[in-house]
Amino acid sequence: MKHFLILIFTLLTALSAVAQSVSTEKKMVRIPAGIYTPFFKLPGTEPTPMPAFLMDETAVTNAEFLEFVKANPQWRRSKVSKLLADTNYLKYWKSDLEIGEKNKELYNSPVVYVSWFAAKAYAQWKGKRLPTVAEWEYAGTAPLVNSREGTLTSYILNWYSKPNPKVLPNIKSTYKNTFGLFDMHGLIWEWTFDFNSFIKSGDSRANTTDELQLFCASSTLYVNNKSDYASFLRFSYRGSLKGNFCIANLGFRCVKDLK
Amino acid sequence: MKYHLLLFAISALSLAACNNGKQSAFTGDVVSTAAPVGTIPEESIYNLTDTFTTQDNKTIQLKDFSGKPTVMVMIFTHCDYACPRLTADVKELEGRLGKNADKVNFVLTSFDAERDFPDQLAKYKKDMKLDDNFTLLHGSDDAVRTLSVLLNVQYQKNQDGNFSHSNVITVLDPSGNLIYQKEGIQANHDETLKKLNELLKG
Amino acid sequence: MKTPFSKKLSSFISLGAIALLVGLQPGCKQGTDPSAPFDISKIDTVLTGTVDAELTEAPNVPKPLTYTSPKRVKVTLKVIEKVMNISDSTQYTFWTFGGHVPGNFIRVRQGDLVDFTLINSEDSKVSHNIDLHAVTGPGGGAEASNTSPGQSTNFQFRALHPGVFVYHCATAPVPLHIANGMYGLILVEPQSGMPKVDKEYYVMQGDFYTKGKYGAAGLQDFDEDKALAENPDYVLFNGKVRALVGQGALTAKTGETVRLYVGNGGPNMVSSFHVIGEIFDKVYTEAGSSINTGVQTTLIPAGGATIVDMKAEVPGTYLLVDHSIFRAFNKGAIGQLKITGDENPSVFKKLK
Repeated sequence: MKHFLILIFTLLTALSAVAQSVSTEKKMVRIPAGIYTPFFKLPGTEPTPMPAFLMDETAVTNAEFLEFVKANPQWRRSKVSKLLADTNYLKYWKSDLEIGEKNKELYNSPVVYVSWFAAKAYAQWKGKRLPTVAEWEYAGTAPLVNSREGTLTSYILNWYSKPNPKVLPNIKSTYKNTFGLFDMHGLIWEWTFDFNSFIKSGDSRANTTDELQLFCASSTLYVNNKSDYASFLRFSYRGSLKGNFCIANLGFRCVKDLK
Repeated sequence: MKYHLLLFAISALSLAACNNGKQSAFTGDVVSTAAPVGTIPEESIYNLTDTFTTQDNKTIQLKDFSGKPTVMVMIFTHCDYACPRLTADVKELEGRLGKNADKVNFVLTSFDAERDFPDQLAKYKKDMKLDDNFTLLHGSDDAVRTLSVLLNVQYQKNQDGNFSHSNVITVLDPSGNLIYQKEGIQANHDETLKKLNELLKG
Repeated sequence: MKTPFSKKLSSFISLGAIALLVGLQPGCKQGTDPSAPFDISKIDTVLTGTVDAELTEAPNVPKPLTYTSPKRVKVTLKVIEKVMNISDSTQYTFWTFGGHVPGNFIRVRQGDLVDFTLINSEDSKVSHNIDLHAVTGPGGGAEASNTSPGQSTNFQFRALHPGVFVYHCATAPVPLHIANGMYGLILVEPQSGMPKVDKEYYVMQGDFYTKGKYGAAGLQDFDEDKALAENPDYVLFNGKVRALVGQGALTAKTGETVRLYVGNGGPNMVSSFHVIGEIFDKVYTEAGSSINTGVQTTLIPAGGATIVDMKAEVPGTYLLVDHSIFRAFNKGAIGQLKITGDENPSVFKKLK
């Protein structure tokens, strides 16, 4: 009897392991509550409490995005609206529903060349949403688990000082942060829900704007830390985007509210 | 409706005929392509399927504005500096259209999903003395953000519940293609007026 | 901001048209009366065709312009991020306008309407824009040109002031973009053209900050601390140690007149530009319209430029230096101008 139970238990465990490997559900990490200090500070955007939320452990991969495209024909490369994705949309895939043999090493790499609209639609399909700039930045500031790899800033600066790699590496190929998130920096840039909340042009030499004419409720913009070049790069990058842009080093991950 | 389609067809043709320039960042000229009659063109903003609520509590989609040229701006009613001025700019534009003003939709969409419900929008419409051809819209955070992305309007919610935002007046053709944008308050709207009159002539 | 520009533009156009109608020849008295206020209405702005600008890689300068009335000039610059040698043994990831440092030299004429397209390469890591000091308009074009990787932006501007102007990337963080090599020169010829010379060259100084010391081998990362302390490892002409030395030296023959368009991208250092063994016959001070003569060393501010003319009298190798001399000796700020031809003993002769 005892043996029988053990056998059943083993079988069950094996079954659940199989089920897990088949399942495409992505692991989400609980990001603990805390205080978010915005990089660009406007009057009225002082450090704010950030509630806890769930965030995808990694960026969405090509294989995962393929499932979405299969289930949602309007997001196939040949069908997608030009309003919602420019002509670069998924351009490296072999066809509408094939990433391609040639791109086999990319199955587990972040999907790139996807528009904001596509990323948002994917998130909705998964019952999730895109992170806000605040959430993304808050989650991204956590330091490296293995501090021997250097500080976060040096890690990021090191990344951008190298040209894009020929083949985009797989997820989890860079570093893990203390929240348990992988590759927040160093692999791709990521879409955020309110990427167009960056109320300034890319021209930010003075880090100020006295253009009351253009900007309601703001007379002076100032930054948290003027020597945080990595953050400047990120905010400038977001400021250059439009919703239908599909770019070689731009992907996304999703978040979810805690019930 | 047939009349609208005809109007649309003619304007689409005239657009195709006259818009062959390149986009210029300084003047804000944006070129769009014409589309077959009766369908929403691929690059039309009217492809957006989100629903909005008007100041009269009617549920609509943006495509309900098709058939007439449309002037679109994004505001919030608690704004004490930019938005009243931007609204005044739109009113002035309406005045300059003269008797043609009835042939144009003026649509003000609020950033403020938490405060600008239909009652508040109706009050703003009354306070600002806006005519019947003005529609004020309330939408979900998601719908408003999506519209802002399509209209190249930047905005951010501040801790006090107010918004920082850019001020952009957008002209759409009768089928929802983005024809022209002008940024700024109390800007020179000669070109905006010209574009609207061209669409009306079509 | 856009309104005054377009308004101004249309008023230039109408003024130009009126000038043409009444048969006024808008003459150019460039350099003759530098104290006179700059008068926009004297610029002819009626366009007479479209041309593609010739772009050159340093030290070359596009040919002098032959047209004598304003044109629509199309300029397309492509931003490329790439690893190149900063010295023979050292590599650095440069951010460039056109694939080299300094960026392509652009040559237009006063009154031209420049139709400017900025492309950011598909494999760029970050967004870029351009601020041309020759532009009268918001951010010098920067506001209209923040460009994502794989995208392009387009704006137009009227070239109003003659002179040679620095252009550079102004995307945040600006100092980093400039420190990585994102600068170049645009020449706006006066309506009467530049006075003719035999040789024209393009030289641009810049300072660089690397983790390793000067000459340390391998790919070196940018060093933010050194940049903030304004303590460069490299101060270079044309983006590489020895770019203008040996094979790369500038050349002229005795009897020829030589003009250098010299810019300073910075980001930090001001240049004390000097050519050892030469005296500048003419210096267009700060590249403006006042001309100084008989100058030994001229200052070039970071984000500024100058034009110097000299005559090759005596054969030999002449050294271009930043006369803040440690930079020349230890940090690379040195180039050569090799003059060949007959000896000129009445000017110089070695006696013993």
